[in-house]
Amino acid sequence: MIEGFLLGLSTGTSCLAFCAPVLLPYFVAEAHSHKRNLGALGIFLLGRLTGYLIFAVLAWAVGWLLLQPSADREIIFGAARLVLALLLIGYGFGLFHPACAVAADTSRGNRFQRRWGVPLPLWLGLLTGLSLCPPFLLALTETAQSPSLGHSLLFFLAFFAGTSLFLLPLPLAGVFRRIAVLRPVARLTAGVIGCYYLYLGLLMITEGGMHS
Amino acid sequence: MSVKSPAAARHGARPPVWKSLLKALPFIFLTAFMLLGGGASRDPRQLVPLILTFALISVLFFRMVHTGRTDRYRAVFFILMAFCFVLTFITNLIEVRGSMALTEEDMATGQTPFCHMVIPMTIIPAAFTRTIIFPGSILDGFANIATMFALWIGVTLALGRGFCSWGCFFGGLEDGFSRLRRKPLLRKIGHHWTYLPYAVLGAMVLLSAWTLTPSYCEWLCPFKAVTEFEAVTSTRVLIQTIMFGSLFAGLVVVLPILTRRRTQCGLLCPMGAFQSFSNKINAFDIRIDREKCTDCGQCIRVCPTFSLDANSVAEGKTRLSCTKCGKCVDACPQGAISFHVKGTPVGHKPERARMLFLYPAFLFLVVFGTGMIQGALYRIVLLVTTGSLIQ
Repeated sequence: MIEGFLLGLSTGTSCLAFCAPVLLPYFVAEAHSHKRNLGALGIFLLGRLTGYLIFAVLAWAVGWLLLQPSADREIIFGAARLVLALLLIGYGFGLFHPACAVAADTSRGNRFQRRWGVPLPLWLGLLTGLSLCPPFLLALTETAQSPSLGHSLLFFLAFFAGTSLFLLPLPLAGVFRRIAVLRPVARLTAGVIGCYYLYLGLLMITEGGMHS
Repeated sequence: MSVKSPAAARHGARPPVWKSLLKALPFIFLTAFMLLGGGASRDPRQLVPLILTFALISVLFFRMVHTGRTDRYRAVFFILMAFCFVLTFITNLIEVRGSMALTEEDMATGQTPFCHMVIPMTIIPAAFTRTIIFPGSILDGFANIATMFALWIGVTLALGRGFCSWGCFFGGLEDGFSRLRRKPLLRKIGHHWTYLPYAVLGAMVLLSAWTLTPSYCEWLCPFKAVTEFEAVTSTRVLIQTIMFGSLFAGLVVVLPILTRRRTQCGLLCPMGAFQSFSNKINAFDIRIDREKCTDCGQCIRVCPTFSLDANSVAEGKTRLSCTKCGKCVDACPQGAISFHVKGTPVGHKPERARMLFLYPAFLFLVVFGTGMIQGALYRIVLLVTTGSLIQ
């Protein structure tokens, strides 16, 4: 378990670099207080934890198979990235609620929750959790040889705790909430990042499709 | 009510020719010194471009001073510089490398010329990793990183976002295309899209910090279509090529023709967005004399970078994204818009403020553009005399 925590601590900057493009625009665009942002981060982390635990079960169940580059793997993770991209694009460019202009003042995150019943950060957390980033591959390598499901879950739990520490400063982005013009800019930023993920997702699926 | 021409509204009658010549002479001498500093070549194929370039610069600056118009003459040089840059750059590439396509080897050996568009994306990774995330050279070779940074800092301090209309060798392409039609076919572009460059800047800075690669160059930069690009060897590069090709066609050629605006600068360019913040610290800005302004909206209609709207006009100033091209100054029928030195009263000696801005601004334009125009003219002379653009 300590190994998992230390691995999380040593690779947490990568997780920060991976999650910050998704989370920062959200926090700035929603313009909530630090307290509410911290709550949103908690929900995001819950989603991410769910993603990690799904991985833990998969790692235990299929072991080394998950680590082998394969067409199916590319397609599955490409699809996860595609969903994340569509969420960000929808959030950024106002596609969830076409009647509202980008500059509308009401929180788009709240509207998403009303419409889909689940907080947006939970989805963002889950989908960023379902990603084969380098720290994750390291953790997978460790758990692929795991003797039991319990061990695998504990390892990923500790790994999650180690990496999550790096995300704790992100809610401080709420300090920008008084600069009104940053809100539409941050929403559009989320949309642009979504476009980038869309290309990455499509690329993974295309390459996966070509290999199969 | 009779409407005076903008220049007449601003200055009354034109100044005497001798007075304008006197004002232009220091600049003409400086240009001559710059062009002839290393001694003139005896090769007529080099000499003809040099003389033509010098004549062009002198005439344009004199006309700018004498007529009181800024954008009309700036645009001639700016557009010419961009097209000449493309011609010179591509022919050089083909001469040296045989193709516009970059290979993995070129990038691994740091032979990619550094471009100012990368600057905003390099700052955060450089702060954390002490590495410039670009496959170029710090000090060696053509367009090395140190030289480009030094030039950029100089222009930024002197002109703020004026860099985009007086220094950027890409902006002239869309400026040129935006002037092809007399009237725009597409007038309405949602105000919120003018925030997009800041969003692209934010996204690219975050993605570059995450991937430690210049994401904008890799994925979006439309100007790769007229400079150099990665050879298509994989699906990833194919997608990237389709993307930057489409962005070039859409934002640099088609939309500028349809809207008469510089749509890449106004709706996408992250470097422009980054540069906008330097307008805060720059000594010059464009101001509107509210006592003279009749709210006719002409300035809003002509602004190529969406830097004027009803709110900013009501406040008597431009938005942060103003590139100080002078188009609104030339277009205002009341002469209510002028270049302005911060800290002085609005409308106070506007011609003096304009001249104070013009000297450094046109100097940078000449510094950036002279070599490109000379180079392109040389290629044209080559074509005429040898039948080929390549030596």
